[in-house]
Amino acid sequence: MAELLVFSEKTDLAFELVSKSREFTAALNMGLAAALLGEKVGAEAEEYFAYGADRVYIGENPALAGFDVESYAEALYQIVQKNNAKILLIPSTKRGKELAPRVAQKLGAGCITDATAVEVKDGNFLISRYALGGNTVAGEVIKTGHKVITVMPKTFELGIREGKTGEVVKADLNLRAPRVRVVGRQEKVGEKVNLEEAEILVCVGRGVEKKEDLGMVEQLAKALGAEMGCTKSLCTDYQWLSEDRLVGLSGKKTNPRLVISIGISGQIQYAVGIRGARIAVSINKDKQAPIFAISDYGIVGNLYDVVPLLTEKLKSV
Amino acid sequence: MEKVDVMIAGGGLAGLSCAYELADSGMTVVVLERGDFSGSKNITGGRIYLGPLEGYFPDLRKDAPLERHVTKEILTLMGETNSTTLQLRSDRFNHDPYPSYTILRAKFDRWLADVVSGKGIFVIPQKKVDDLIKDGAKVIGIRSGEEEFGADCVVAADGILSFVAEKAGLRQPFQPQHFALGFKEVIELDSKTIEDRFCLGEGEGAAQLFVGSLTDGMIGGGFLYTNRESLSLGIVVGIHSLNRREPPQEVYKLLDDFKERPEIKNLIKGGNPIEYSAHLISEGGIRIMPKLYGDGILVVGDAAGLGLNMLVTVRGMEYAMASGVFAGRAIRRAKEKNDFSASSLAHYEELLKESFIMKEMGTFRNSLDILENERLFSKYPQAISNLFEKVMTVDGGPKKGLYKTIWQELKKDFLNYETFKDWLQFRKI
Amino acid sequence: MNIVVCLKLIPDLKYIRVKDRKPILEGAPLIFGDMDRNALEEAIRIKEKVEGTKVIALALGSSKLKETIKAALAIGADEAVLLTDPLFADSDTAGTAKALAKAIEKIKTYDLILCGEGSTDNYSGQVGPRLAEILGLSQITYVRKLEVEGKKLRAVRNMEESFEVVEVEMPALVTVATEINQPRLALLKDILKAGKKPLQEWKAADLGFSANEIGAKGAVREVVSNLAPEQERKQVVFEGELKDVVENLFNALMKEGVLGR
Repeated sequence: MAELLVFSEKTDLAFELVSKSREFTAALNMGLAAALLGEKVGAEAEEYFAYGADRVYIGENPALAGFDVESYAEALYQIVQKNNAKILLIPSTKRGKELAPRVAQKLGAGCITDATAVEVKDGNFLISRYALGGNTVAGEVIKTGHKVITVMPKTFELGIREGKTGEVVKADLNLRAPRVRVVGRQEKVGEKVNLEEAEILVCVGRGVEKKEDLGMVEQLAKALGAEMGCTKSLCTDYQWLSEDRLVGLSGKKTNPRLVISIGISGQIQYAVGIRGARIAVSINKDKQAPIFAISDYGIVGNLYDVVPLLTEKLKSV
Repeated sequence: MEKVDVMIAGGGLAGLSCAYELADSGMTVVVLERGDFSGSKNITGGRIYLGPLEGYFPDLRKDAPLERHVTKEILTLMGETNSTTLQLRSDRFNHDPYPSYTILRAKFDRWLADVVSGKGIFVIPQKKVDDLIKDGAKVIGIRSGEEEFGADCVVAADGILSFVAEKAGLRQPFQPQHFALGFKEVIELDSKTIEDRFCLGEGEGAAQLFVGSLTDGMIGGGFLYTNRESLSLGIVVGIHSLNRREPPQEVYKLLDDFKERPEIKNLIKGGNPIEYSAHLISEGGIRIMPKLYGDGILVVGDAAGLGLNMLVTVRGMEYAMASGVFAGRAIRRAKEKNDFSASSLAHYEELLKESFIMKEMGTFRNSLDILENERLFSKYPQAISNLFEKVMTVDGGPKKGLYKTIWQELKKDFLNYETFKDWLQFRKI
Repeated sequence: MNIVVCLKLIPDLKYIRVKDRKPILEGAPLIFGDMDRNALEEAIRIKEKVEGTKVIALALGSSKLKETIKAALAIGADEAVLLTDPLFADSDTAGTAKALAKAIEKIKTYDLILCGEGSTDNYSGQVGPRLAEILGLSQITYVRKLEVEGKKLRAVRNMEESFEVVEVEMPALVTVATEINQPRLALLKDILKAGKKPLQEWKAADLGFSANEIGAKGAVREVVSNLAPEQERKQVVFEGELKDVVENLFNALMKEGVLGR
């Protein structure tokens, strides 16, 4: 029986994929398997069964101690080949996204990354992803027998855990020592902020002139009970906020009930990040800014005047 | 210092036309365009008249991206709640070779830039002249960013606020009454709808001018041109008029209100606005022209103040292109003699004077005086519409005699000393 | 050392319009994407630091490349290799990687391949890893800082939870992130001279490809639709007196029921 194989270095994301894949494997009459790779793994195998996997491959090898992509690609390749896996699903984390095409190349397979939706249609997978910088959503299919797909986190929901068991298979891996050496790692001082779950979001852009001015916007966020997000300039370029707060095509795609975009012009790369908002509000001094076309309500005005007044109004109620 | 033969500041119609004329001359010619591409920073209402350009650009008709040839000329005088329209449809205008075409600058300028590049001339986007290098009064080169370049001749083709002409000391200080602000929207509409709404045959176009209440008492007017698959709709307002306005008027609001007028609303219904842009227009005519040449420098196009408001139309593009060609010719001649001094480059002005450009600039040199008459933009259009409205009204009471009706209106609005003087003024153009 | 920089021609997204949900690309000038420009800039910086470095710009795309590649040459690439054969048209990422790999094999001597982390238009990020796999090279992706130390590369990678510092011996493939550098603007004098630098155009046959292996025919992925998502926003805009607009917005949001914890 052909298999759909899920792999992620992040177990919670792997569980999302396994949960959803039950649907796919049922429709396509395939087995559902997951791969656990590392130097010493195996403890989480039970959890994979709980989420619906029939089989878990344990790939243990010193070469897999770090996250060496070449070793991981080769390991997955060997598991796929030996066990008739036809579909490989990997979450679109950075590691996942650099791994998937490499495995696909080994398999001579088509690969689609950053899927925002996956459905089975006419015996194949119809995969949606953003294209043209976020201006469009492309529907794509893979023509080869082997298919590799990376899926954006949170595209699928975690299923209900059931008391199932499955087969644990030890994978015989033939790997050489990694060529790339990790000589250091600097943990990011990340804030544990989860914009994707935020109900209300206040986002800032380059209309805010100084880092100190963020305080004013934070007051508004507080009055609303909102999380703060930002555009690429403010986190990646100026480093005023951590990259966890990046909203947009290369950051978080959010689904709040309300988002207020402040001092943001509304370029497509940002627009993509707030598409899921129920109500979008914007404040910008330029009437011609594209943000107004993608907003439900907008104020044409100076944010330095509007924001404090709005905060006051919200507090007074 | 690196050196080229000719450095052209500005990749609009004037600059590109000069480059076009210099192709195959053997000289190294470089055009510096500050926009992402030629045409990205230019707009026209508008339409181009091909007649004057026939001799200079023989392939224009055949190869250029032209929208519709204009067969309908429409003039609409707008009152607050009424308007009167005069429409000319002419077989003559619908006869190949067509006299004029509507165009879109982003396409047109880009095409010309491609033609010029194809002839081996460098058209460099995202570059501009930041300073002139002089030896005494003589211009010997330019600075762009950190780089300095020598040139036998610099051509100031950098538009209406020409920085280069200013740096060369050739330009007079600006006065607001010599400029107008034009702002427009391009509204996407399929060609069949355009042709139905304007009663046009396939490929035919309409050009419509509006005068009256749409500029809210300020000097200016509106325009509507049909392109192949879009409409160009806009308003022009005199800067002086705009500045004098209390409280200050937001120009885009004028356009928004204009779009709400029944005369416009139904023409653009279902259309999709895809572009909004604004540009300064030179209307001073001959009075504000700078000195057109100096040692090592020539001034062309809008930079040379070659824009003219002829009331029934605004001219600039043909002047830009022809002046560019004349500049090119003067430069060729200067190269032959290896003399780029002012007296040598003066040949440019000679060519201009002999041409349609200066002749028309002369004929219409007083157009500004007429334009400054605010009655033209408020009272008269309203009065004419009121007159017509009165003539056409049949209400409860018995209709008065036509002569009486007309005479009453004329007496009220037109038979006075002011209007008589205005009429006399008209002889000036 | 020899550096090959892979570049992709894309429509300038600033000029893309959407009509009836369909993207309209005509009228959009063709440029190199942001991360490609970062890759090129990084190559030039290495060239400035390491003596005897040659930078080759490699690109697959339409014949418009012949004009656009001059920008890369002006910035400092020493030569360009272009795959503009119409047979390569509509190549997907796998096809592009395959063709680029063959070209790189033909270039023969290289120490470092630099790519952007992804292209600005589709950001699939596949060409780099695929290329590395075909050529049997290590890949270092998401690089925000790159140093060449003799035969060794040292890179800082921007990962989600950490900055990872890695080392590998060349030859290797590196994909760069936008924060690695600020691409320089080409100097006018270099733009004027760019046309004189060596430029080769290799056809499919030069690389040993038959028509069926490449372009649309050789694609392993098919795009069945490409439309702008439906989005109906109310587009209500409040302008005017400060107090009024804030009041109006507040009322509108109350009405929508989105306020309150």
